[in-house]
Amino acid sequence: MTKTAKGSLLYLDGVSVAFDGFKAINNLSLVLEPGEMRAIIGPNGAGKTTMMDIVTGKTRPDTGDVIFDGEVDLTRHDETDIAALGIGRKFQKPTVFESHTVEDNLELALDRRRGVFATLFYDQTQKDREAIDRILETTRLTARRHERAANLSHGQKQWLEIGMLLAQNPKLLLVDEPVAGMTDAETEETARLLREIAQNHSVVVVEHDMGFVRELDVKVTVLAEGSVLAEGSLDHVSNDSKVIENYLGR
Amino acid sequence: MKRFIAALFILPMLFSGAGADDGLIERIDALATGKLKDRAAQIEAISETGDARAVPALQALRDGSLYFRKSDKKVFLAEKSGSDFVLKDPLTAAEVETLSKSAVRKVKVNNRLRRQLTAVIGSMTLESPDPGTRLAAARTIFKTGDVSALEALEAAIRTEQNADVLAAMELARASALLKSDAETFEKVKAVELVGTRGGRDAVPLLKELESSQDESIAQAAGKQIAQIEKAQVLWNSAQTVWYGISLGSVLLLAAIGLAVTFGVMGVINMAHGEMVMLGAYTTFVVQEVIRGSFPGLFDYSLLMALPLAFLVAGACGFAMERGIIRFLYGRPLETLLATWGVSLILQQAIRTIFGPTNREVGNPSWMSGAYELGGLTLTANRLWIVVFALIVFAALFLVLKRTGFGLQMRAVTQNRKMASSMGIRTPWVDALTFALGSGIAGIAGVALSQIANVSPNLGQSYIIDSFMVVVFGGVGNLWGTLVGAMTLGIANKFLEPYAGAVLAKILILVFIILFIQKRPRGLFALKGRAVEA
Amino acid sequence: MITSFVFKALDRRAIWVIAVLVGLAVLVPLLNLALPAGHPLHVPNYAISLMGKYLTYALLALALDLVWGYCGILSLGHGAFFALGGYAMGMYLMRQIGARGVYGDPVLPDFMVFLNWQELPWFWYGFDQFWFAAIMIVLVPGALAFVFGWFAFRSRVTGVYLSIITQAMTYALLLAFFRNEMGFGGNNGLTDFKDILGYAIQADTTRAALFSASALALAAAFLICSGIVRSKFGKVLVAVRDAESRSRFFGYRVENVKLFVFVVSAMMAGVAGALYVPQVGIINPGEFAPANSIEVVIWTAVGGRGTLVGPIVGAVLVNAGKSVFTAAFPEFWLFALGALFVAVTLFLPKGIVGALSGLATRRPRRPAPVIRDAAGEAAE
Repeated sequence: MTKTAKGSLLYLDGVSVAFDGFKAINNLSLVLEPGEMRAIIGPNGAGKTTMMDIVTGKTRPDTGDVIFDGEVDLTRHDETDIAALGIGRKFQKPTVFESHTVEDNLELALDRRRGVFATLFYDQTQKDREAIDRILETTRLTARRHERAANLSHGQKQWLEIGMLLAQNPKLLLVDEPVAGMTDAETEETARLLREIAQNHSVVVVEHDMGFVRELDVKVTVLAEGSVLAEGSLDHVSNDSKVIENYLGR
Repeated sequence: MKRFIAALFILPMLFSGAGADDGLIERIDALATGKLKDRAAQIEAISETGDARAVPALQALRDGSLYFRKSDKKVFLAEKSGSDFVLKDPLTAAEVETLSKSAVRKVKVNNRLRRQLTAVIGSMTLESPDPGTRLAAARTIFKTGDVSALEALEAAIRTEQNADVLAAMELARASALLKSDAETFEKVKAVELVGTRGGRDAVPLLKELESSQDESIAQAAGKQIAQIEKAQVLWNSAQTVWYGISLGSVLLLAAIGLAVTFGVMGVINMAHGEMVMLGAYTTFVVQEVIRGSFPGLFDYSLLMALPLAFLVAGACGFAMERGIIRFLYGRPLETLLATWGVSLILQQAIRTIFGPTNREVGNPSWMSGAYELGGLTLTANRLWIVVFALIVFAALFLVLKRTGFGLQMRAVTQNRKMASSMGIRTPWVDALTFALGSGIAGIAGVALSQIANVSPNLGQSYIIDSFMVVVFGGVGNLWGTLVGAMTLGIANKFLEPYAGAVLAKILILVFIILFIQKRPRGLFALKGRAVEA
Repeated sequence: MITSFVFKALDRRAIWVIAVLVGLAVLVPLLNLALPAGHPLHVPNYAISLMGKYLTYALLALALDLVWGYCGILSLGHGAFFALGGYAMGMYLMRQIGARGVYGDPVLPDFMVFLNWQELPWFWYGFDQFWFAAIMIVLVPGALAFVFGWFAFRSRVTGVYLSIITQAMTYALLLAFFRNEMGFGGNNGLTDFKDILGYAIQADTTRAALFSASALALAAAFLICSGIVRSKFGKVLVAVRDAESRSRFFGYRVENVKLFVFVVSAMMAGVAGALYVPQVGIINPGEFAPANSIEVVIWTAVGGRGTLVGPIVGAVLVNAGKSVFTAAFPEFWLFALGALFVAVTLFLPKGIVGALSGLATRRPRRPAPVIRDAAGEAAE
C-alpha cells in the first residue's frame, strides 16, 4: 500500500465508516499530490465532513488506509498528533476562541512549541509579532486586533479562522465551506485569500457554491453516498452523466 | 443451654393450644415441695393437663436447670450467670429476677425420674393435638439427637397422619438413631436420610459422624456433607443474587426518575434525592392521618400514599422547572449548582417541619414476614420492592414509547426547534417531563420508606448511587438504567462477603470511575454523529 | 524565563491583592499581640483563628477557580485534596504528641493503642519529620489528581460526567476514611494536637503565626495563579475551556493541559487543608463529604469564577455570612445557602467581581477596593 502512497501528500484507499449501520463513507479512495489544491463537491450526506473527520483523526475508519505525506498512517494518530504533523482544518461553522482577542487567537495558532512548559514560559519574540502583524494584514483584521473574537462579524470570523490556519502553517489545509453565509464581495475576497494560501500550501476545499468552485479553477472531486463519483476539471465533471443524475440534474 | 433455646423455639407455638390457666402453675410450683419420692406423682399431675406450656419446665427439670426460690418456694427456669442465677417464668420464659446462689435451690431429680420425664415430654409434644407443636418437637429432637426420645418418636410415627410432621419425625428418628447404639447398616441408612432431607441443619450432626470409629458411617457422612455443601454453595449464590436484585431494585427505584430528567432531558437534578425524600415523608404523613382517624385502613396506607407522593414530588419538580431550570437550559454545570441549592432548601424545610430525627414509617401486614423457597429466604418487603420497581419501570417505559406525551417528549429532546415548529408546546413538555421524573422519584420514596430511615438526609444517601447507575447504564437509555442498577446491585452483594459492605461500595465506585473513562457514555451508548450535537 | 513569568503575573490587580495579603499577614498579628485587649484596634484571638480559617478556604476556592473558571473543569471533589493535605498535616501533628497522649505510648497515636495495634503502619513512617509531612502535603493530593486526571482527561470525560465522577471520588474516600482499618482514626479523625514545630498549638503567638502563614500562602498561590493565567498557557486554558475540540485541531494536547492545571490546583488545595487543620484543631472524614466540595464551588461562583480575586472574595464573604447566620439563626443557614446557590446561578452568573468589573471596564482600579472591603469585613 505504501508503495502507491509514496510521493502523494494525502492518500485514502478503500476507506469505509458506518454509524449504527448507516454507511457514511463507503470504499472511498482519493489521492492528493503535494502542492495541489482540490475542490470537493457533493450533495448533503455525501460524506464530505465525515471524510475530513477521518483525515483529522476525529473519526476512526472501520476499514481502509489513510496515509499522509507518503508514509504516516493517520488512523493511528489522534487530532493533536495530526495537527502537529501539519494538517490544519477550518470548520463549516467558524470556530475561533471567542473570549480571546483576535491577536491572542493568532498567537495561539502560531506554529510554536505547544507543550505545557513551553507555553507557560513563552515570550513573544519580535519574529512572532511580525508574523502576527503580517497575517492580520492579509486577513484585513489589523484594525480589530484587540477586539474579542466573539464581537467579529460572521465573515470576519471566517477570515480569522483562515488566518489562524495560516499562522499554524500546515502542509495540508482542509477547508469546509468557507463561503457559506457570505456576501458576494466577501466570497470573492475569500477566493482570493485561498488562492494566495494555495501558492505555498496544499489545500482541500469542500464547497457547495459552484460559482466559488469555478473561481478557484482547480481539479474537482464529486462525492455521493460516501464514495467518489467523478474526478477532473469542473467542466469535465459537470458533463458526467452520473454526476448530473445524482447531483446537478436535480 | 441448647435445649433451653430449643424450648424457647417451641414456646410461641404453644400459646394457641393453651386455654385459661387451669392450675398448671400450681402443679409446677408443687415440684418445689415434698421429697424425691413424691416427684413421680407430681410429674404425672402435670402431664395430665396435656398442656404443652409445661414442656419447658419439664425439660428444665430433666436437665437440672429448674430451681425454686427459697423465700416463697416458687419454681423458675434458671440460668447461671456468674455466681448468680437469672430466674425466668416457667411458662413464658420471661425474665423475673436475678438472685444469688444462696437464695435458690435446685429441684432434685434422679435417673428414674429423667426417663419418666422424657416419656412425658414426648407424649405431651409429639402426640399433642396441634400439628405445629408436633412439628416443632420433631425438629427439636432432630437438632439435639435426643436418644431418649427414640421410643416416643417410634410411637408417634406409627400414628402420625400429617405428611410434613411425619417427614420431620422420620428425620428426627434418624438423628436420634445415629446417637444410639443401633446397627451400622441402620445408621448408614439414617445418615443418608439426614443428608438428603436435613439440608444445612444436618451439617453439624454429620460433621460429628465424619470422625466416627465406624468406617462406613464416616464415609457416608462425608459423602452427604459434600453433597449438602455443594447444594449450599448454589443456594448461597442464589441468595446473593437475590440480595443483589433486591439492592438493584432499590437503586433502580432511586435512579429511574433520574433516567428521565438526566437521561432524557439532560438536566442534572441534584435535588432528585430530595424528591425521593418528599415521597417518603408523604407516606409518613398519610400513615399519621390514618393512624389518627382511620386505623382500619392502615394496610392500604402505601396504596394511598403512592398517588399523593407522585403529586407532591411532581408538583415540586414542576415548580422547579418553571422557576429555575428553564432559565438554565444549555448550562448543565449551572443547573447542577442551582438544583443543589434547591436540595439544601428542601432538606432544611423538612428538618424544620418534621424535625431532624428519623420518622417511623410502619410496614403494612402484607409487607412483613418472609417466604422460604428451597434454600432461599425472601422477605416480603424486599420481594414487594423488586416487584414494584419492575412495575414502575414497565409503566414508565410504556409512557415513553406508547403515549402521545411520550412521543412529544422524545421529539422535544431530539430536536427542540423542529418539535416547536410542528406545534408542540415545548416549554409545557419540558415542565411535564421534569414533573414526571420528579413524580417517579416521589413514588420511589414511598417504597424506600419501607426499608430506609425516613430522615431529612434520606435523599443524600441515594443521589450519588443514582447518578452512578444512570451514568453506568448509559444516558438516555431506560434499559441501560435497568441493567446498570441490577449489575451494580448484584456486583455489590457478591463483593460484600470478601470485602465488607463499605469496601465493596468503594470498590464499586472505583470500578465505575474507571469504567466511565473507558466508555464515557455508559454501557448502552448511542453512537455516531448525533451524539456530538 | 521565570522572571518574565513573575513579571507577567504582577499586573496592577495582582500587586494590589498581594500587597493587601502581605499587609494582613504583618498587621493583624501585630494588632493582636502588641495591643492590649481593651484597645479599640485590638484583634481578638477568636478573630485570628476565624480569619485564618477563611484564608485557607479562600486558597481552596482559588485552587478550584483555576480549574473551573479558567479550564472549565467543574471539580466536585476538591474537598478531597483539601482533606488529604489536612490529613498529612494531621499525621505530623499526631506524631508530635508523642508520649503525652492519653495512653502515653511514645510512638503510637492514641487511637491505634485503643484499636490494639502493635506497631505503626508503614504509611505513618516519616511523619514525625516536618519536612517529610510538608512534601506529602503537596505530593499526596497531587498524586491523586495526577492518577485521576490521567485516566479521566485521556478518555475525554468532560462536563457533568467529570463532575459526577469527581464527586464519586471524594465520596469513595469519605467511606474509606470512615473505616478504622484505614489507620487514620476512623470516625473521629485526628485531633488533640499539642505542638507544631515545637511551639504549643494553642498559644496566641502560634495562632498569629499560622494566620500569617495562611495569608502568605494565599499571596504566593495568587502569584502562581496569576502567572499561569497571564502566560500563553493561560490562554490555552481558556481556549480549552471555550472550544476544547478546536484546540486539539490546533495541535494542543488538551489532556496534558488539563492534567497540569488539575495537579497544580490539587496541590494548592492540599496546602490549604494543611494550614486549615492546625487552626481548627481537628481533621475528620467529614471533610471528604461531597457537600463540602460543592460549597467550595458556590464560594467561587459568588465571588466570580474566571477572575482570580473572585474566589477569595466569595470564600470570605460566604463564610463570614455563615458565621453570622449560624450564630443568629442556625435554622436558616441552609435556607440562605440554598437560596444563594439558586440566586447566583440565575442572577449573577459572573459573580460579584465579574459583575463589578463588567460595570467598571473603564475604571480598572475598581476591583482592588473590593478585596479590601471583603478583608475589612472579615476583620470585624
